[in-house]
Amino acid sequence: MSPAGCSHVNGFKVDNWKQNLRVIYQCFVWSGSVETRKRKAKSCVCHLCGAHLNRLHSCLHCVFFGCFSKKHIHDHAKNKRHNLAIDLLYGGIYCFVCQDYIYDKDMEQIAKEEQRKAWKLQEFCKTSGIGEKYSMWEPTKRELELLRHNPKRRKITANCTIGLRGLINLGNTCFMNCIVQALTHTPLLRDFFLSDRHKCEMQSSSCLVCEMSQLFQEFYSGHRSPHIPFRLLHLVWTHARHLAGYEQQDAHEFLIAALDVLHRHCKGDDNGKKANNPNHCSCIIDQIFTGGLQSDVTCQVCHGVSTTIDPFWDISLDLPGSSTPFWPLSPGSDGSVVNGDGHPSGATTLTDCLRRFTRPEHLGSSAKIKCSGCHSYQESTKQLTMKRLPIVACFHLKRFEHSAKLRRKITTYVSFPLELDMTPFMASSKESRMNGQYQQPVDSLNNENKYSLFAVVNHQGTLESGHYTTFIRQHKDQWFKCDDAIITKASIKDVLDSEGFTDAHNDSQTRTQ
Amino acid sequence: MKMEDMSLSGLENTKLEALAHDVYSDLVEDACLGLCFEVHRAVKQGYFFLDETDQESMKDFEIVDQPGVDIFGQVYNQWKNKECVCPNCSRSIAASRFAPHLEKCLGMGRNSSRIANRRIASSNNTSKSESDQEDNDDINDNDWSYGSEKKGELMHSNPNSPRRSKSLKHKNGELSSNVNPELYKYNYSSGISYETLGPEELRSILTTQCGVVSEHTKKMCTRSQRCPQHTDEQRRAVRVFLLGPSASALPDSDTMLENDGYDAPDGQLIMSRLQWDGSSDISPSDSASSKASEFFMKPSTLTLTTTGSGGERDKGQERERGDRDRVVSGGSGSSSSQNALALSSRKKRPKLPVPPALSIYDDLN
Repeated sequence: MSPAGCSHVNGFKVDNWKQNLRVIYQCFVWSGSVETRKRKAKSCVCHLCGAHLNRLHSCLHCVFFGCFSKKHIHDHAKNKRHNLAIDLLYGGIYCFVCQDYIYDKDMEQIAKEEQRKAWKLQEFCKTSGIGEKYSMWEPTKRELELLRHNPKRRKITANCTIGLRGLINLGNTCFMNCIVQALTHTPLLRDFFLSDRHKCEMQSSSCLVCEMSQLFQEFYSGHRSPHIPFRLLHLVWTHARHLAGYEQQDAHEFLIAALDVLHRHCKGDDNGKKANNPNHCSCIIDQIFTGGLQSDVTCQVCHGVSTTIDPFWDISLDLPGSSTPFWPLSPGSDGSVVNGDGHPSGATTLTDCLRRFTRPEHLGSSAKIKCSGCHSYQESTKQLTMKRLPIVACFHLKRFEHSAKLRRKITTYVSFPLELDMTPFMASSKESRMNGQYQQPVDSLNNENKYSLFAVVNHQGTLESGHYTTFIRQHKDQWFKCDDAIITKASIKDVLDSEGFTDAHNDSQTRTQ
Repeated sequence: MKMEDMSLSGLENTKLEALAHDVYSDLVEDACLGLCFEVHRAVKQGYFFLDETDQESMKDFEIVDQPGVDIFGQVYNQWKNKECVCPNCSRSIAASRFAPHLEKCLGMGRNSSRIANRRIASSNNTSKSESDQEDNDDINDNDWSYGSEKKGELMHSNPNSPRRSKSLKHKNGELSSNVNPELYKYNYSSGISYETLGPEELRSILTTQCGVVSEHTKKMCTRSQRCPQHTDEQRRAVRVFLLGPSASALPDSDTMLENDGYDAPDGQLIMSRLQWDGSSDISPSDSASSKASEFFMKPSTLTLTTTGSGGERDKGQERERGDRDRVVSGGSGSSSSQNALALSSRKKRPKLPVPPALSIYDDLN
């Protein structure tokens, strides 16, 4: 018997009480479908006064409805000595002897199950795909005890440092530190790890996901001294040999390698569903970071289109100022041509880069593709668009150029927005773009393709040697600069003015539960 | 209020409004009731007051926003003395030196592969004298000998200093380490077997090298004439043994032997008999300086390098281009060979032509 229950329920818990209780919940409390609702409305009236409001209760021992406000149910209880009644609106059980609502564990279990069933029957669940009604966490008896014995709490409020921590540079490891900072501030990933959702199936102790989990514990521990990620470095080098070696590395490469290793080690977390099928992996990494890039190759002769969809974790964008020509298309500009050294009419934006990325590209006569329609080699155009957007989109600006003639860093300023709408770059929007029009997103209520910025990685220095720092967003609108072991507060202006090397955007559509 | 079916069409506005108002107030009441139940339950179950914190704890974790300090209110740069324990060797290492230590500890550095190579070779030959030599070399590979972290500094005196100035720098994924294990198969011993060599070849070798045969491995020492490991007596004895009593003179004494009927040994032929230390070729991003220092330190290994494209790599481009390329292609294994060859001439070794080793690299690629 739970502390919130009472002994008077024992009189009820006889024979087939569970089934009876279920019936009561199904018919009179939780109404899933339209029919049950109608039935409830028609049949649930007070037997004494005929009212259907006034906090109607049903007796648990016999078929009797009475209102609470007018004490009709109380009278019934006294007369018949039926001590338990159920509130028809919220399903709470009232004990007339205790004169209070009681919470019995077994009965609550049944109530929850019935509620879940009814929830699933409702129409909006079927259309929107929302599976479960959200239920808050409740502590168990043991947890309650622990919490009561330890009254000091660390509460995360808007002005709190918990969740932020510096990282010691282990010797040219700023590339790793900056990506780790970005990952630990990815909201979905943070939630996954803080709720202990990783179940390790690796035999050895070299699971990178476990180490990641440990990292989150370190970040939320409230410690002020910077964390030393030596174990993480060791594990990454063990699992991604091509990154190993004490010299300066590329942060973007590290991100891809880290995601790859995490994805491989996440096998145990997808509830056993198709663990090794690369197309259907449902590990947390794939759920958050993987998107689908559609590549359409159109034959110039027969106009047949051959489509392939590849998974991607990030989008690498070319920049103006590289030796490959850039083709800006800002609406409103009169199509001024930009060569490698010229200046565009305004600063290049991230959207410009994306537009260039998704433009139809004419593959020259030297790259003829065999067309299955014409059965011959023909010239074609290729276009990349987004088929499926990930929840977290990472954009990588290709600032390091390695062409045959030169190796340099492109320092062109690219402005990126706090909010980004990816709709024009979707595969579904291709039609309107092909016609030469660039449509502004009309449906601003549709949040599906809208992203908000939450992390920016910057690189200062040259190709040979430089330093990485990260700006991350915490607590909705506060930005912080993470420079290895030093975390300082930053303004939005600092963030938007920064050069940008890799930035991560979070899908702003929150899926409510 | 009785329950009845009502049609809304025939009603006047005021009645409709009254009805709407009734419905609205019912809904509000129900919602409030729901909230009351929630609170009641929380209190009864005991978790209602759980998320209250004390003022002190709140103050502790407030963000600080002042110049010169970070968000915790700490001054910058006070974390110089942090230490951590290496998961591999369980030694306590300074945190800022951990990466270079780990590189050697895991055998991923340039020197580490060479040392490991020797260890493999010596364990294959079960020789003790060879491993003695290597142990001496190993002692030199200490963490403390790693220089400062300053970028751009070139430290010739320190053979183990990390490479600083290179052509392709910002990222240096060492693809070579993928190639490493395979190349190990193709070598290796740090000496020469005299049994398989003809007299002309032996003579040629003995004019430039120490040549003393190790008791354990039965191989000739490939160090210089002035090799500290062996004495002149030993060298003379070897020459007598291998070339006959007339060959007792060392090249220093200027006596040259006349050979008739033998062609000058082909450099290529020698190379095919000699084993080479492939490990130093494997890491493509060795700089000239570090190769030089390696060379000076360990003259016993004959360095063979391939004449590759000299530092030009296209792996960078491959990586940049592919949004979806996750597989990193194996490195070409080419390295700045020109430097090694130039150095070798200083050491009075025969100029090495392009060795047949190139074919092995081709196989790997």
